[in-house]
Amino acid sequence: MNSKYHQARSRLFSLIPSLISILLACLVSSIILLLSGHDPIEAFTSLAVGAFGNSYRFSETLVKAIPITVIALGTSVAFKAQLWNIGGNSQYTIGAIVAVAVSIYLDLPPVFLVVLSFLAALAAGLVFGAFLGAMKARLNVNEVITTLMFDYIIAFLLSWLVYGPMMDPEGFGFPQTALIPKAVMFTKLIANSRLHGGLFVALLLVVFLFLFWKTPQGFSITMVGQSRTVAKASGVKVSKTIIITMALSAGFAAMAGWIDALGIHGRLQDNLAGSLGSVAIVVALLGRLHPIGIAVSALFFSALIVGGNTMQRFVGVPFSLVTIIQGLVIIFVICSNMFEHIWHKKRGGVQHD
Amino acid sequence: MGETVLQMQGITKYFGSMAANHEVDFSLEKGKVHGLLGENGAGKTTLMNILFGLHKPDSGSIILDGKEVAIHSPAEAMSLGIGMVHQHFMLVPTMTVTENVMLGLRLPRYPLINPAIAKRRIEELSTQFALNVDPQALISQLSVGQQQRVEIITALYNQTRILILDEPTAVLTPDEARELFEILRVLKAHGTSVILISHKLDEIISIADDVTILRNGELVCNAKIDIHTTRKEDLSAMMVGRNIDFNFAKQATGEGRTLLSVQHLSAYNDRGVHAVNDLTFTVRKGEILAIAGVDGNGQKELCEVLTGLRKSSSGSVMLDDQDITDAGPAEIIEKQVAYVPEDRQRTGLIMNWDVSQNIVLKSFHKKPYTKGLFLSPKAMTQTAEKAITDFTIKTESSSCIVKNLSGGNQQKVILARELTENPALLIVSHPTRGLDVGAMEYVRSLLISKRNAGVAILLISADLDEVFQTADRILVMYNGRAMGVVEPTVDIQTIGHMMAGVVQGASHE
Repeated sequence: MNSKYHQARSRLFSLIPSLISILLACLVSSIILLLSGHDPIEAFTSLAVGAFGNSYRFSETLVKAIPITVIALGTSVAFKAQLWNIGGNSQYTIGAIVAVAVSIYLDLPPVFLVVLSFLAALAAGLVFGAFLGAMKARLNVNEVITTLMFDYIIAFLLSWLVYGPMMDPEGFGFPQTALIPKAVMFTKLIANSRLHGGLFVALLLVVFLFLFWKTPQGFSITMVGQSRTVAKASGVKVSKTIIITMALSAGFAAMAGWIDALGIHGRLQDNLAGSLGSVAIVVALLGRLHPIGIAVSALFFSALIVGGNTMQRFVGVPFSLVTIIQGLVIIFVICSNMFEHIWHKKRGGVQHD
Repeated sequence: MGETVLQMQGITKYFGSMAANHEVDFSLEKGKVHGLLGENGAGKTTLMNILFGLHKPDSGSIILDGKEVAIHSPAEAMSLGIGMVHQHFMLVPTMTVTENVMLGLRLPRYPLINPAIAKRRIEELSTQFALNVDPQALISQLSVGQQQRVEIITALYNQTRILILDEPTAVLTPDEARELFEILRVLKAHGTSVILISHKLDEIISIADDVTILRNGELVCNAKIDIHTTRKEDLSAMMVGRNIDFNFAKQATGEGRTLLSVQHLSAYNDRGVHAVNDLTFTVRKGEILAIAGVDGNGQKELCEVLTGLRKSSSGSVMLDDQDITDAGPAEIIEKQVAYVPEDRQRTGLIMNWDVSQNIVLKSFHKKPYTKGLFLSPKAMTQTAEKAITDFTIKTESSSCIVKNLSGGNQQKVILARELTENPALLIVSHPTRGLDVGAMEYVRSLLISKRNAGVAILLISADLDEVFQTADRILVMYNGRAMGVVEPTVDIQTIGHMMAGVVQGASHE
């Protein structure tokens, strides 16, 4: 009937807030550029060229988009359940640590190492997430605090590992581990670029999550996010669902860590995650928690980051502009959610007392 | 005749298609306590929220001291000398009395604060009205009754002449309630007019000078109260009204076997007080057992224990000879127990989801809604569309968000969900509260037809009309205890007395 048309239309409409947010963010940052004496058109052109100008640059953008997409997928799982997992960095780092440890310390054929490091990193992420979820579900500890604090704990754990027990004995004292054997690393997709086979893993994960939301487990997670009271009364085991949600959320981030370890890093270094976790939050929100939306927004943000570097070098506009755009996008996304809410209330305000 | 300070004329307020107030007149005299009586959902609070500037009336006028006024916000109401104490206190527990009173007030030297001025005024009010409040005390250290007095002080702070109290005794112990009434008498003596919202008849008779009764948003009567001649029974008859007579065909279903058996059940409420106290009853197949009683006498907690949402403290619940005491909600749903909760918007429905998703909230993980690994939106839509036709739910399509449905149609969505799974036991809590007459009739006849089909039904209701029309037996609950079980042929006064905790009825158990 017309419900198909209805759905397609409402899906199209749901894109509007994100697009407006991006547009407004560009507009406001143009004003900032003008005020600081730069030509916004020149700046944005060089940004675009930097991100998409030739096949190498585009491949760099894709390389950057891989971990952002995968972490943001994980973030979106938690956000759907109204669990504010903001610890993408620590969960990513755990995945990378485990992946590297398995790959450099175990003496097995490369194929086994790839599979084993994947399973180990995933398991570590799931267990870590389940632990965070259990703290929330059983002890009612605020997940914002735990995930944020574990970002520091895990960051220092990584520092300690690369300065201490895992430091490369032949590395002249550099704070890093030995390299993963070449054969274990992902194959490069394009010669003379860093683009690696992890791209396909990321795409598979997008498809996986897309399908996951169509399963009963996905339905329960969304229901818990909508209302814990209703979920409980409907026979959904809320505590169990919270634990599963956090495990899955951290599992994704850990897989991102595994992909990057075997895709680009090849070893552990201090501050491996950088600001991936916080970018992933913006990406998840901008993508409206939809797997495909997330993949597209991740591409947008990695273009900003990669293009931003070029812009800084060639036009002299500081990279901070990218940070400003990021901040503005998040502000406008939040505002658009608010406006949408008010709009719906005005239109369909049936009853309140 | 006293001097009239306030008149509200022809007040009408709609929420969507529901009339919360329809052409209500209300007038208040100086130095009098005016009771505002009515069942839940009768429109008492709405009327007072209009007076306090929280809602804007669709039509009607407010005349204060002979001048028409428009009140747009609580701040305006307060500046006109109107104060309100809400049922739920709005106090910050970690702050002192003075600090709480100062919140939101514009004291001299605003925006800088001056606690000394506020403290002096609190002490002044405290002695003047015998409120006995220590301005330095922390809110968290005060009893509920004392906290209420802090709220009263806040309401009185700006030379308040009209004080609105929304069900003030609902949270008080009997002793605290007596103290509150003393305070009200002092306020009266000082010329303050008090509007007392309540559904407790004893209170109104003992303290109020005048009474206004509302039912379903409409004015039933304005009357003087005479403590010697006004009878509780008359007030309660006007409050619940017995003029809507639906005729339902109740078939004799004979003696069905006992399905639900509750033995000596007790449970605590959220504040750790015994809300359900040694309750014993049974429900047979093909009968409706109604639990009547004034709200807040343990009905909510009872429902929650029966549906697995709350743990009992002692006693047992047997369903079809299986022990389901303290089983989880999933297990109880599995045993064909359906539940229509009291708070349909917070417990019954996901307001942001569409009709088809809400229809399968409890069965989405089973066939045909889950096939293999995935959900089947098609099966969901089919069930929803069937429910829309069967239950005459007024909605554009099954992909309509339930938030945009009227209250009656939201209730129908819940009923459709609960009834499509062929329940053995149906627990319904206040199923027609807030519904219009048409939807009300529909829901009641639906309950009767399910009863005739052999479903065991436990109906929790504060609406005596509903109870008399539908029930086979009536258990009256007071203070968490059963006051007795009576037949629906009993007269309304007897039930009224039992609901007030006065007499022990004839027990049939």
